[in-house]
Amino acid sequence: MSVIAPDFKFSKFIQSLISDVVWFVLILSLIGFPLIMMILFFIPMPVIDGELLTPFLAFTYLADPSRTLPIVQSFMMTDMFKIMAFPGFGFAALLAAGTIFVERKMLAKLQLRVGPFYCGKFEGILQLMGDGLKLISKEIIIPAKADKPIFWAAPVLFVASAAAFVALIPVAPGWVVADVDMGLLAVFAVIGFFPIVTILSAWSANSKFPFIGGIRALFQMVSFEIPLILSLLGVVMVTGTLNLSEIAASQSSFPWILFLPVGAIVFFITMLAELERIPFDLPEAESEIVAGWLTELSGMMYGLVQLGTYLKLYAFAALFTVLFLGGWNGPMIVPQFPMELVTEGITLGPITAKIGGLEPLLTQLITPEMINGVLMFVLKTVGVIFFILLPRGVFPRIRVDMLLNLGWHKLIGLAFINIFIALALVYAGVLGPGGLQ
Amino acid sequence: MKFKLVGEIAGNYSPIVLMFGFAIVAMAPALILSRMISPRKKGNPVKFLPMECGQVPSGEGRTHFMMQYYPYILMFVVFDVMAIFMYAWGSTLLELPKSATLPMLGFLAIMFGAMAFALYQSGRRRIW
Repeated sequence: MSVIAPDFKFSKFIQSLISDVVWFVLILSLIGFPLIMMILFFIPMPVIDGELLTPFLAFTYLADPSRTLPIVQSFMMTDMFKIMAFPGFGFAALLAAGTIFVERKMLAKLQLRVGPFYCGKFEGILQLMGDGLKLISKEIIIPAKADKPIFWAAPVLFVASAAAFVALIPVAPGWVVADVDMGLLAVFAVIGFFPIVTILSAWSANSKFPFIGGIRALFQMVSFEIPLILSLLGVVMVTGTLNLSEIAASQSSFPWILFLPVGAIVFFITMLAELERIPFDLPEAESEIVAGWLTELSGMMYGLVQLGTYLKLYAFAALFTVLFLGGWNGPMIVPQFPMELVTEGITLGPITAKIGGLEPLLTQLITPEMINGVLMFVLKTVGVIFFILLPRGVFPRIRVDMLLNLGWHKLIGLAFINIFIALALVYAGVLGPGGLQ
Repeated sequence: MKFKLVGEIAGNYSPIVLMFGFAIVAMAPALILSRMISPRKKGNPVKFLPMECGQVPSGEGRTHFMMQYYPYILMFVVFDVMAIFMYAWGSTLLELPKSATLPMLGFLAIMFGAMAFALYQSGRRRIW
């Protein structure tokens, strides 16, 4: 039994390594660097130490943290960082992944099962990664006579719509991807994309179960849009703004759920319906219509739709937090960072360790207030997510006519009651100008 | 009052479109990668039939489907527009004089009257 293949030659191995390196260097210098330079030409570069940063200077600065950290800081303030990493896609995807794991584990505990257990050392913590690998390596089967371009595009568009929703959520003061005046109306506009993507995906599959599920999804999302919109009007009336950051900032003393509990309950129920979660999971009712509009999606397409669903779940929970629970406001529990460690360095005997560029980063960008705000926001959002997940282990599915009766007669009525409560609070002088602060 | 250019206001919304585009750019490679590394076997044509619980599908997939409760959709069209009208009033409520609420209440009364009539008719004729 030979461990090394019979035609193995050390010289050939070295030769192949060298040829790989040569090709790498050749392609990098002929295509890579010119491309980087061309792209960087169009990106506004920051001014460091009174000098406009150029790619050459950036390479020179790499060894010096006091000049590299300002570059990092200016990068963290760009739109691209916000979109890719922190209040945007990366942050939301991380929370969504956590949600999937917690949902499976919690549901298992509710039903006296174990849930994911073997993958990973501790309580199946790597199950999600394993599922991702499985999904990405499975064959994607497109049904015959499907409308291929739309069928391929639908899962990606679903994730993209959910990401556009995430873009509007303020996480901490100033930390929001798109800080727009009409934030709440933009939220409604983005929510309007989901039924369209769903029905496109369902129609293009040329199969009966997705078609029925897609029509149910359309029906449900469209009819619960009215109570959704009306239940949030009360918050807009007492704050007088549609900007989500201003709405969150207006709750520094008390959250609006104390004054408008009816609106919060109506919004929560419509949220469950918009998210297609039990007891409103008619569009993917697995005991009636196989998997609803997800029936023909296989492999990574299904994975993308799941990712989009959980991004949407995070975004709705975050919207609830921002509108009713006060967003980032909360008790200050993060201690102040000892700044003398940064300004004067750490002295150990004859050695002083000091990082130069850290001070502006810690005083301007990653302040304790910001960390505390993010912590409060995440705690509240996780709480709301927990209450969204909980009905799945408790309630049965309801019928279509019960759903519509609930949505059109009860929730709309309650939403109007909420509006009149808000009107009474404003006109009685309890809230608004001259009222409680 | 400070006026803003239309392009300036529209520019504020560009991060939403950028995030939409970023999700597409970031997620489409997952599909392409999956297509590259996953097996693709032609097999027999049964594999590509639409799912119909193991039976050979009968008829077209995109059929006419009688969805009940059609009048709700008509009510949706009315109520959706009404809700956005109410946002125009609600978001400026703190600056408006109190007399501005009366026309709004009148508007709501008309809407509710129409809705009550529709519900009464539907209950009488059993159309939903």
